[in-house]
Amino acid sequence: MNGNAVLDIRDLKVSFSVRRAGRKYQVRAVDGVSLSLAEGEVLGIVGESGCGKTTVGRSIVGLVRPDSGTISFKGTDMTGASLRDMRLNIRMVFQDPYASLNPRRTIGDSVAEAGDINGFFTSRAGRSAAIAATLTAVGLDPSFAARYPYELSGGQRQRAGIARTILPSPSIVIADEPVSALDVSVQAQVLNLMMDLREQLRLSMLFISHDLGVIGQISNRVAVMYMGRIVEQAATRTVLDDPRHPYTRSLVAAIPKPDPSKRILGAIETGEPPSLFKRPRGCAYAPRCPIASDRCQVDVPELRSAGTDGRAIACHNV
Amino acid sequence: MTEPLLSVRDLSVAFHQGGEVSLAVDKVSFDIMPGEVMALVGESGSGKSVTANSVLKLLPYPAASHPSGQILFDGKDMLKASEPELRHVRGDDITMIFQEPMTSLNPLHSIEQQIAEILELHKGITGQQARARILELLNQVGIREPEKRLKAFPHELSGGQRQRVMIAMALANRPKLLIADEPTTALDVTIQVQVLGLLRELCNRLDMAMLFITHDMGVIAQLADRVSVMYAGRIVETAGVEALFGRPRHHYTRGLMDCMPSRNSGARRLPTIAGQPPAPGTVGAGCVFASRCAAVRETCRTAAPPRAEVSRGHDVLCAFPLDGGEPR
Repeated sequence: MNGNAVLDIRDLKVSFSVRRAGRKYQVRAVDGVSLSLAEGEVLGIVGESGCGKTTVGRSIVGLVRPDSGTISFKGTDMTGASLRDMRLNIRMVFQDPYASLNPRRTIGDSVAEAGDINGFFTSRAGRSAAIAATLTAVGLDPSFAARYPYELSGGQRQRAGIARTILPSPSIVIADEPVSALDVSVQAQVLNLMMDLREQLRLSMLFISHDLGVIGQISNRVAVMYMGRIVEQAATRTVLDDPRHPYTRSLVAAIPKPDPSKRILGAIETGEPPSLFKRPRGCAYAPRCPIASDRCQVDVPELRSAGTDGRAIACHNV
Repeated sequence: MTEPLLSVRDLSVAFHQGGEVSLAVDKVSFDIMPGEVMALVGESGSGKSVTANSVLKLLPYPAASHPSGQILFDGKDMLKASEPELRHVRGDDITMIFQEPMTSLNPLHSIEQQIAEILELHKGITGQQARARILELLNQVGIREPEKRLKAFPHELSGGQRQRVMIAMALANRPKLLIADEPTTALDVTIQVQVLGLLRELCNRLDMAMLFITHDMGVIAQLADRVSVMYAGRIVETAGVEALFGRPRHHYTRGLMDCMPSRNSGARRLPTIAGQPPAPGTVGAGCVFASRCAAVRETCRTAAPPRAEVSRGHDVLCAFPLDGGEPR
């Protein structure tokens, strides 16, 4: 669809079987998502817990197996492609820097791992130099190579996680809530680092987060997900300044504004959260939606183009 | 003038571990007036939760100790209270809610059992009378069709509903003070806004005071009447919420506000606070924020900063506070 797309996802569907109260359920986590990521672009995926945003990211790097749909990298379908090659080009940064680094390996060994597996290094000196250069690029002193994760603060660990990601010079980084576990002062440092790296290394990025503030800072374009589907997609400022889908509107309105003269508590109605076990027949948002009509109860709205700026909305009533 | 409901004076908390002593909270003082929503804000390790847990003596004693301080509630020093006296206050006059309701609720007890236990323990209410009160409480916290929810177990509820049940338990005995430690941090924003709205409304309606612990400046701005900002175990600034957000006087407070993404929409880079908070026990004689402060001067590193009242009800722990002449 998109000529210069580095990553193109068509009609991705992923489901999990879940046991609950002795019964087996099929839960559809991603229900027909299509996305394309342009070269050098940061595409934000925002949504609340259970909306499927993480599953989209994990499907791309082959950590979960989709039921159907295609994922292509620079025009080539990756279904059935070698995971090893693909994982050098498309790499992930995870939320929890405590869990994603092996506690028994030094930072240097963790950072070099992808290079070790793929035979990047021809000499010990070359390996050390590559580790030092990568650590420097993420703002860590090369001496961190000899340290263990427990010796690092949360922000330093996340920098190490990012170093691990960029060592093989990937073209795409999928960042899944990379700053959610960090304090705000450290979060700002890591976000700045990611913006710098994206520019220097000409990365394309899929940035997954529940936090519209963070997404607004780093993304060029945003896709809003609700119960496995994209409900609205547009340029970041368009989504934040003029949300149209009733779910996006509620999400934007619910952010606690750091301004005591703009209090919203008690003034907005956001409805009950959905259960993945009881997916509505029509629009998944209809039970919470202030503008739902009869049609919304039975007919799932497709994502359709709305306006000239690339905005797309899945709603019958806007 | 009315007396404060809770008055914390020079509270310190030390932790002893493996022969080493570290000071997690260092001479913290604040008051909460009846019906007031007071917030303690700070980053991880700032001592905000330790301060809150001290009020009901919920710290792991004797590893934890209080080298100094008083916590006066209704004129009585909680730090000197006996265990039976504390048990009387906990869950009755002062109650607490936590971040993760799933770990605070008993997974094997139904909603009705969880709430009934507190009513029986403190007020001796049982049977039909207890059930009526439980339904009233569940209604009050916005659980729909509470009759159908009485027999539900925690795992059958959503995160938001669990937090509502926690709040119902906390309200059961009509406390004068509710301590809420990051109660909405694990919730989605559309649910968080409901739970915060509920807490604010309950404080107003029941004339209940609240000590609210959070790392989120946005939540503070929406909810609090007054705020104390904690950094490395000290309160560095206390002010009414309007004054704090309108004219922050401490460099750390200002820095925290500046690095919030939502205050910088469109900026290419976020302002940051360089470095990271000092490790416990590494703070010297000077200001705790000196190593990260952009406006640091030589005396800041050697002399403890004074606490200055910059305007009525607004005080700051800084030798060279921001002048506040430039409202944001």
